[in-house]
Amino acid sequence: MKNEYMAYPAVVKKILKESSNTNTYTLAFVNEEKQKNFKALPGQFMMIGIFGIGEAALSICKIDEDGSFSTTVRNVGNVTNTIYQLKEGDKLNMRGPYGTGWPLEELKGKDILIVAGGIGLPPLRGIIDLVQKNRKNYGHLEIIYGARTPEDMVFKYEFGAWRQIKNSRFDLTVDTVSLGSKWECKIGLVTSCFPQMKTRNKNSIALLCGPEIMMRFAAKCLETIGFKDNQIYVSLERRMKCGFGKCGHCQIGPKYVCKDGPVFSYDEIRPYIHPL
Amino acid sequence: MNAFTIEKKNIHFLFDQFRKDYKIYGPTKPGYESTFEEITSIDQLHLDYHSTVLPPKKIFHPPHEQLFTFLKEKETYTTKEIFLEEKTLLFGIHPCDVHALLKLDKFFSGEFTDIYYLKRRKNTCIVALNCVEPSKYSFCYSLGTGPFLEEGYDILLTDIGTEYLIEIGSDEGKKLLEKTTVEKVTDADFHEKERRQKLTELKFKKHMNTQWLPQIVSESLNHSVWSDLGERGGIAGSHACLSCGSCSLVCPTCYCYDVYDTVDITLQKGIRARELDSCQLLEYAEVAMHGNFRSDRTARIRHWMLCKFGAAAGGHNSGCVGCGRCIRVCPSKIDITQVARILRGE
Repeated sequence: MKNEYMAYPAVVKKILKESSNTNTYTLAFVNEEKQKNFKALPGQFMMIGIFGIGEAALSICKIDEDGSFSTTVRNVGNVTNTIYQLKEGDKLNMRGPYGTGWPLEELKGKDILIVAGGIGLPPLRGIIDLVQKNRKNYGHLEIIYGARTPEDMVFKYEFGAWRQIKNSRFDLTVDTVSLGSKWECKIGLVTSCFPQMKTRNKNSIALLCGPEIMMRFAAKCLETIGFKDNQIYVSLERRMKCGFGKCGHCQIGPKYVCKDGPVFSYDEIRPYIHPL
Repeated sequence: MNAFTIEKKNIHFLFDQFRKDYKIYGPTKPGYESTFEEITSIDQLHLDYHSTVLPPKKIFHPPHEQLFTFLKEKETYTTKEIFLEEKTLLFGIHPCDVHALLKLDKFFSGEFTDIYYLKRRKNTCIVALNCVEPSKYSFCYSLGTGPFLEEGYDILLTDIGTEYLIEIGSDEGKKLLEKTTVEKVTDADFHEKERRQKLTELKFKKHMNTQWLPQIVSESLNHSVWSDLGERGGIAGSHACLSCGSCSLVCPTCYCYDVYDTVDITLQKGIRARELDSCQLLEYAEVAMHGNFRSDRTARIRHWMLCKFGAAAGGHNSGCVGCGRCIRVCPSKIDITQVARILRGE
C-alpha cells in the first residue's frame, strides 16, 4: 500500500518574476525515476510544500518537454510566502498530480473561450499552449483576461505570442490603472469585454477560472447569449489538506474539488457554487 | 459449529484468552459516563452500557495522529513514516459503531487509500455486543444499523439473560475461541436472542425516516430550516447552532481532518501530523486573502446535515448510523431526527 501523504523532494529549476508578489517556478522531482514517470494534464494541481510549514494546492500552469512543470505562485499565505523566499536550486517537497484537469477531448474541433481573472490564468495556460501547438485541432480561440492592475497581470511576456495565434482574439481588462502607467486596453470587469466577444454559443466551450464571484457572473452573461451549462467549465479553489478526497475540506455539495475537480462542468456544480 | 454460549460470570475466560494476543479496548465507566479505553483487567470492563461519549473512531482515526517525521540534513530532507503496528481487539462494541467502522473502511479505501487507517483496521479484531438497552437518543433501528448486528464482526455477543450467546463471524474469530471454555448452544438460546431483538426494537424513542432523504436534502438547499438552525434561534425544541463542533467530534463517521507540521527547536526536524477537524468550525473552509467558502453558520450546519444524510461528498460512507451521540452532546439541543422531519414536511 502506498503512503499517499508522503511528499517527495523537488528542486526549483527556474524562477520567473511575474509581478510584485507573484513568481513562476519551474519544478522537477529530485528522484529521476519519479521525474521520468511524472505525467500531468492542464488544469491538474500539485500539493507543494515545505516541511515545517505545510502544503498548498498549486495548479500546474505549464508542462515542459522534459517532464518538469511550472506553477505560478502568489505570495498570500504561509506556504506561498515560504516558497516565495526560495532561490533557484533550492529544495521543496511535492506530491501529485491530483484532480481531473480540463476536458481535453471535449475541446477538440470546438471554439474555445477562456475567461480568466487575476491568478486564475495559470491553470488555463496549459490550454493556450495546447491550442498554440496544435492549432488546426481547434476552432476559434478567444482569451479574456482581467486583473486588478496592469502590473498584477501574469505571463505578460507571452501576450505578444498569444496575439499572433491564428484565428484568435485576445482581450485584456483591469480594474484600475495607477497614475502614469501605460494602458491601452479596457478598464472594467471581465464581463465588460463580453459585448465585443466573437465566440458564439454554437460548437463552443467556455473555460473559466478566477474568483468565484467572477465565474458566477461570467457564466450568467454567457447564459444570456445562449451558452448551456454543460458548455461552461469552471476551475474552483478550496482549502485542501490531502489532495485526494480524504480530509474533507474542499467539499462543495456532493463533490470533492480535489478529486472530482478542480475542473467542473458548470451544470454539475451550479446549485452548490453559491450557497455552499 | 459457529455459535456457543458462555455464562456471564465466566466472561473473563474470553478476556484472558484475547489478552494473550491483543491489546484490548472496551467500554469502561470511570465516572458518570462510559468511554472506550484500553482494558487491562476484567474489572474495568463495563458491558452494560448505553453509549460512549466518543465513538471507537478514536482508536482508528485518532483525534491527533503523527504521520511522519522529517529531518533536514545537508539541505535535503529525509522522512520516516510512523506506524503503530499492534494488534488490537475491540471488546463490546455496539452494532451502530461497527457499522460506522464499515463505512469508514469504505471511505478510507478506494482509488486513494489511507494507509494509516487501513493498517490499524487490518490489525483489529472486533468482538461486538448486540445492544439490548438502546439509549434514549439512539435511532439505529431506523437506519438498519442496529440494534442487532448482521455483519462486520469477528465475534458477536448477545446478552440472553444469565449467558452471552457467542456467534462467530470470521476465521479469526473462530481461532480466538478455539482455546476457550465455551458451552454448546441450543435452539432455545437462539429463540431468546430473537425475542430480545424484537423487544429491543420496541424500545427506541427516536426515529428517522431515511427514504429519499439524500435527494430531499440536496433539493432543499434553500429550506428555511437552515437559517432557523444557523441564525434565527433554532427549530422546535432547539436553540441556534453555536458552531462548537461537538457533533463532529462525537460522530462515529465524521472523518474530516487537518494536516499540520510541528518543528523542533533546532528547526532541522519535525513531525507532520493530523488532527480531527469539523466543518462546523469557521476556519474549516478558509482560504488565503480572507476568503471563506462557509463563513456563515447557516452554510456550516447545512453542510454537516447534508453530510450525515448522505448527500455530501463522502456520500453514504460519512452518513449517519443513528448512534444519537450528536443529539446528546449538542449544547443547543439540535436533534438530527427533528431536522429530517422538518425537511420531509412531517
